[in-house]
Amino acid sequence: MKTIKLYEGQFHEWIVFGRDPDKPSKIIDTNQFLIKTKHEAILLDPGGIELFSSMLASVVHFLPVDQITHLFASHQDPDIISSLGLWDKTLPHATLHAPWIWEGFLRHYGCNNITYSSIPDEGETLKFDGLELQFIPAHYMHSSGNFCVYDPISKILFSGDIGGGLNSLEDPMFVENFEAHIPQIKTFHQRWMPSERAKDKWLKRVRKLDIKYMCPQHGSIYEGDDVQKFLNWLDDLEVGTGLRV
Amino acid sequence: MRSDIELRTNFYITAVSVSARLSTVLKEAKNISLEAMNAKALVARAGENVRTFKPITDYMVELANDTIRLVEEINRESLLISKSSLISLRGNEAFGHFLKAKNLSKGALYQNSFSSALLAAEKDLQTFKQDLQKNVRMLNELLEEIETRMLAANVVTSTSRLEAATVSNLYRANFEAIVAKFETAAKNIRATVMECRKVLNGR
Repeated sequence: MKTIKLYEGQFHEWIVFGRDPDKPSKIIDTNQFLIKTKHEAILLDPGGIELFSSMLASVVHFLPVDQITHLFASHQDPDIISSLGLWDKTLPHATLHAPWIWEGFLRHYGCNNITYSSIPDEGETLKFDGLELQFIPAHYMHSSGNFCVYDPISKILFSGDIGGGLNSLEDPMFVENFEAHIPQIKTFHQRWMPSERAKDKWLKRVRKLDIKYMCPQHGSIYEGDDVQKFLNWLDDLEVGTGLRV
Repeated sequence: MRSDIELRTNFYITAVSVSARLSTVLKEAKNISLEAMNAKALVARAGENVRTFKPITDYMVELANDTIRLVEEINRESLLISKSSLISLRGNEAFGHFLKAKNLSKGALYQNSFSSALLAAEKDLQTFKQDLQKNVRMLNELLEEIETRMLAANVVTSTSRLEAATVSNLYRANFEAIVAKFETAAKNIRATVMECRKVLNGR
């Protein structure tokens, strides 16, 4: 699995894992993010069950696994969190932060030991080991209970499915040419994102943030100017095209 | 019974298919019960002449009731097998994931940090397999019990035939018909149970 240290600050680091060559070919590629402080860590969208072995093998290059005290699931999809049952066996004392509406659903993946911490609709701030992470509401983008994660220190926005694309293993980890990147993300946003109103609300929210990196759970990471380019592009895009039929 | 329970995806289906076959056994057991009641009525009507038939009809009732009870127990056990085989299958997969992570993380600084999870998954898997073996053994024993009872029913059928031959012409045909139905039901039950055991152990 490809591993990149995205940010290294005085008190914490962001590490991205993706492009797993061992994953079965027919499942969608995903990016997983680890934020590590001195004593603790959080895994953002830990991934599907098929990726668990690669993820576990990758994270132990950076920290002892029991240093991961928190997990975050942006929403309920299997590529986001179907590995929960296995993390539950690995990190019995961890806390999963996930939308309140999905608790009864996510527990189907197996959540006997991990503590489920419901994120309210309006979002909240998670503090641990000197770090503050904001859970930003992104409901109906695409899931009806959905959050992004913003770190004001590193200025990184983990955007979940927003900004993602149906990419391949060969695609770069960072957007290199935004115009050339559009074909990879267009259908994904038109078809997966259901609501113009939700899109506008999310854009209004995130435009207030100072974002250096926007990190989707699929595809390539947006850096610097590409973040604004993406937001403007999304603003103009018609979503919910599945309703045309 | 095979001692090495393989964790295949079709194990829980096997248990369910055993359970499905039991509807035949239940139907035949109810037939035996009905025939036993017919026989009892006939014995009461025929009086002294056929009093030797009474213990036979009592046995038929007992056999029918025991079979119905055993079928209920088998259904319960089949359900447990379905559950425990799925748990074992999941445990097997979990252990496989941890083992794969161990291989993939060779050389990682903190590779040993998930050793306890790997060991726990292995221990869980052994427990799940033992539970499954116990459930399968129990199901086999219950099926064997029905089969043994049906073998005993064969002996009773022979005795009943002899007794039927001694009763007056007025009742003989009726008794012979009851014995024949009893024999058929017992044979069907035995055949179904044998099939169930074959399905269970022949995977």
